[in-house]
Amino acid sequence: MEWLSNLFPGIGTLFAVEPAVAIARVVLIALGFVLAYMGFQRKLEPLIMVPMGIGMICVNAGVLFLEGGKIGTLLIDPLVSGTEPLMQILQVDCLQPVYNFMFCNGLIACLVFMGIGARSEISFLLARPWTSISIALFAELGTFVTLAVGMGVFGLEPGQAAAIATIGGADGPMVLFSSLIMSPELFVPISIIAYLYLSLTYGGYPYLIRLMVPKKYRGIDVEVYPPEVPQKTKFIFVVAVCGILCLLLPMAAPLIMSFFIGVAVKEAEIDPYQELLEKGITYFSTFFLGLTLGTLCEASTLLDPVVIKVLVLGILALTVSGVGGLLGGWVFYKINKGNFNPVIGIAGVSCVPTTAKLAQHAAEEENPFAMIIPIAMGANISGVITSAIAAGVFVTTISMVG
Amino acid sequence: MGPVVYALFTYALTAVISFAVIGVVVLIDKVMSRKGEQK
Repeated sequence: MEWLSNLFPGIGTLFAVEPAVAIARVVLIALGFVLAYMGFQRKLEPLIMVPMGIGMICVNAGVLFLEGGKIGTLLIDPLVSGTEPLMQILQVDCLQPVYNFMFCNGLIACLVFMGIGARSEISFLLARPWTSISIALFAELGTFVTLAVGMGVFGLEPGQAAAIATIGGADGPMVLFSSLIMSPELFVPISIIAYLYLSLTYGGYPYLIRLMVPKKYRGIDVEVYPPEVPQKTKFIFVVAVCGILCLLLPMAAPLIMSFFIGVAVKEAEIDPYQELLEKGITYFSTFFLGLTLGTLCEASTLLDPVVIKVLVLGILALTVSGVGGLLGGWVFYKINKGNFNPVIGIAGVSCVPTTAKLAQHAAEEENPFAMIIPIAMGANISGVITSAIAAGVFVTTISMVG
Repeated sequence: MGPVVYALFTYALTAVISFAVIGVVVLIDKVMSRKGEQK
């Protein structure tokens, strides 16, 4: 039997670990296949799910016996600590340099944010600025409810609860960044679950919309005339808002800088940089984000009991944020005496541009002439701003809670 | 500060900062468009 184990260590190691770990490995290999296939079918976000699913399969299948009888892979070791072991592992595990030089310092989140900035059209925000920001604040409800539940009901440390609560902002890079700063020990499970859930918003939010907005209201057309804002004006306020936010929330400065530098490059029409951010950096960082997250889905990491809490709180955060956003939509429907589509509320959840597209799709299903995407994009961009502010507020004030 | 009070406090602070940022955006927009009209 031993020769078989040495010949095929991927299979042999299944019998050398605890049964729970072996079963979890098999389940994760199957789950990786399901995620990659659902990405292929476009039921989940393919940009993240295809590399993530494949990474998940490989890290749980490609397990072997290492030096000193240790069991591991040649892909990544997120738990390595100390300079000497780290230097050794950097020369062996192929994704270790990506993990240490791009994940652990939040660089990958910043790169993704630069790409989001370069694709964001700020004039949508100016169509109805106060409405957009108010809806975005309604859609942050899940973040703050989860924070209170995490600390009060689940007994988590303030930093852990705050890091998990940022899932409610539905902003992947923000979740990565917040968990690295406030709860580095939970960084791996929080980021995996956040990205898994963010992909599920594709499938789950349409049901929430149908549940909270009756058919006859979903097709309401909203007359919006996005103002023609001169490039110069847009550039000036992008730079001004970036400076103000960094001044107010220095802890979130890397993410704020990354987002607004993307927007500034777009508004300044620096075409080579815009192309680099939009086509190069966005896809480069998203690809390695998906692949590295997949390889972090090791059975032993995910068998930690705290993962169950992250799973429950993550779904709570996103659900309550969706409910909050749609409630905000209803509030503005009443304020505007019916000249507002409540579905726009879901776009306050800042999963750019997924939730804005979902809102437009839901409206189009009932009324092919309904055009709500401009105002939905305004709420979407506002959502990015409020999520960054919420994360910055947590990081700055978390020591106040006892 | 308890969990609920802290959650309410951070929600309120997030709202205040968000509205202040949008206030700046609207102000710059108004100033710039007024300058444009004067020209």
